[in-house]
Amino acid sequence: MTPTVRRVAVVGGNRIPFARSNGPYAHASNSDMLAAALDGLIERYNLQGETLGEVVAGAVLKHPRDRDLTREVVLGSKLAPETPAYDVQQACGTGLETTIAVANKIALGQIDAGIAGGVDTTSDAPLALNDDLREVLLDANRIPDTAGRLKLLTRLRPGMIKPAIPANQEPRTGLSMGEHCAIMASEWGITREAQDELTIRSHNALAAAYDKGFQDDLITPYLGLERDQNLRPGSTPEKLAKLKPVFGGPEGTMTAANSTPLSDGASVVLLASEEWAKARNLPILAYITEAQTAAIDHVHKREGLLMAPAYAMPTMLDRAGITLQDFDIYEIHEAFAAQVLCTLAAWEDPVFCKERLGRSAPLGSIDTEKLNINGGSLAAGHPFAATGGRIVAGLAKELSERGSGRGVISICAAAGQGVVAILESAGGSK
Amino acid sequence: MATRELSGPPSILPLYAKAALPMIPGASMLPFVPGSGKDVPELELVMPEVTFDAKSLAAYNRVCGFTLRDAVPSTYIHVLAFPLHMALMGEPNFPFGAVGLVHVNNTITQHRPVSMSETLSIKVTASKLRPHAKGKQFDMVAQAKAGRTIVWEGVSTYLRLGKGDPSLKVEHEKVEDPPVSATWRLEGGLGRRYASASGDRNPIHLYDLTAKPLGFNKAIIHGMWTKARCLAALESVLPDAYKVDVQFRKPIPLPSKVTFGEEISKDGIRFAVRNARKGTPHLDGTVVQVAAKKR
Repeated sequence: MTPTVRRVAVVGGNRIPFARSNGPYAHASNSDMLAAALDGLIERYNLQGETLGEVVAGAVLKHPRDRDLTREVVLGSKLAPETPAYDVQQACGTGLETTIAVANKIALGQIDAGIAGGVDTTSDAPLALNDDLREVLLDANRIPDTAGRLKLLTRLRPGMIKPAIPANQEPRTGLSMGEHCAIMASEWGITREAQDELTIRSHNALAAAYDKGFQDDLITPYLGLERDQNLRPGSTPEKLAKLKPVFGGPEGTMTAANSTPLSDGASVVLLASEEWAKARNLPILAYITEAQTAAIDHVHKREGLLMAPAYAMPTMLDRAGITLQDFDIYEIHEAFAAQVLCTLAAWEDPVFCKERLGRSAPLGSIDTEKLNINGGSLAAGHPFAATGGRIVAGLAKELSERGSGRGVISICAAAGQGVVAILESAGGSK
Repeated sequence: MATRELSGPPSILPLYAKAALPMIPGASMLPFVPGSGKDVPELELVMPEVTFDAKSLAAYNRVCGFTLRDAVPSTYIHVLAFPLHMALMGEPNFPFGAVGLVHVNNTITQHRPVSMSETLSIKVTASKLRPHAKGKQFDMVAQAKAGRTIVWEGVSTYLRLGKGDPSLKVEHEKVEDPPVSATWRLEGGLGRRYASASGDRNPIHLYDLTAKPLGFNKAIIHGMWTKARCLAALESVLPDAYKVDVQFRKPIPLPSKVTFGEEISKDGIRFAVRNARKGTPHLDGTVVQVAAKKR
């Protein structure tokens, strides 16, 4: 049997404003924040009592106790408890990967509607037992007699009280994401000025989006926060130039401003078949038409850790039969300003495109006026798994307001992975 | 009726000390010690600007099992009103001290969800004394407003054990318990954890040793924790506007294993908490939907 493929509609999205680490959401857990984002979506699209095909979400920093995090949040929500759910974790790609997972099932007719999302907290982070202490305790559990257990106590050391803290570090290189990106920035010759300029644009664009009410039906206030806490409009190149580099040593170009801060937040997106949305009188903001995930080898082949989207893009473009210039909007996740600029430089570079991507011609440049027009992660903040949902919902809404056009999303993730996707206006692409 | 405005919540610990003083024979003769009045004083205590704090709310939600949503649990507003209960019962002309009173019933009406970013004004008054089979009872009546709209009302009924009117004894209706949907293990320190999150540090909830002088063999959990835990278990099925009424039956000693039963019908929700082994009735409750007020 050949399955028919249906168009997948983005009905809408919702998120809570993103907060800086140890800010207003310091005492909120991943399930609290995901529940708050989901509550707002249910309210906005009248999903009370609905049995959806599935809800898929995830968190990068997850407590061991949060087994079936998403399912438990569904059970505490106003959705019908018969709605299945599961968790996905693919670092910063999580939010877009969950969107693709739900969209594919809708496209194949396996489900009619679903919710994708993601959440992360860097404040309520999981601390684990010190590994040495954990081993002693597990050994104690394996020993049947009390005398043997008591003997084990002699292995206890005061240092074992120190918990294991999740580190923002690549397990195979020992470098943080920022340090990896600093290497990329230096290899691609990305200047401090270009990074700071992109940062200022991001803040001003997001502030403008709030001011014109663009965010009104994309956000539900939470714990006193109504806008993203990290947002600082009106900054100047002079102010940003004063900041000291935080990655890449004293000669580095990356600062606390042109890198995303550790953040807390959650986002969700409602996806459906056209019939399902129309039967409920719900809007269709855009269609998800393509997606691609790629990975690179940052360990042995020394590719830049965050360069995988550069590889995912041409594969997707070829399948869609279009070029990099055939988009009206580009949403490139600003993990670091340098990551965005390295990716754009790579697509313009004949050598990279020939040697790494195996293409006869470079993908070419894009019109940067079309890039992250309603602000990006540098301004909004970046709660890892929540970023994908923020971008999908914002791009779908922008396409819907324009009534035509095509947009592309590109998100880099830790461990050398990248996710890209295409959204097209429900009014038809040009 | 006289109204007294308080700028902030009164500190509860000294109130407990004051509340316990009437237990000392003769202490009520002193001018600042409750116990001199014949009936509950006609006094209204008001806190005009009550705001929420995410850290305290998070601690409360965690110990009771609520998800930290932007809407606050209806039982949390009781926690904010509780210092006023204590202050009113600490008035010199209050007929007896608060320590030793038995919380027998609590009704909360949530007229609409309250967001944690709202500012409320809370007022508390007390009803006249009424006869009860085992003594005398009265209500502490609390009301929370957002602007001019009453968003929340709470009625706590307290019993003062003493000479009662046996003709008023009510037989509990022999209705079948709602089917059990969960088992909860209440650990020994739960009373202290809830005391710290709610501010209700009544010694009967803290340690066996502090509960003994007040007539309990073991520390018992706060009735309002049990009520809150029930609402947390029902969070996905609670309407936006509802009235939740609970009757506190036998206290729950700590630690304990109890069952939670629930029955959802078109008329509302019936729920109950029982001892897991012996079936001792601890709490009976109902939720009914009420007309929702607009925000």
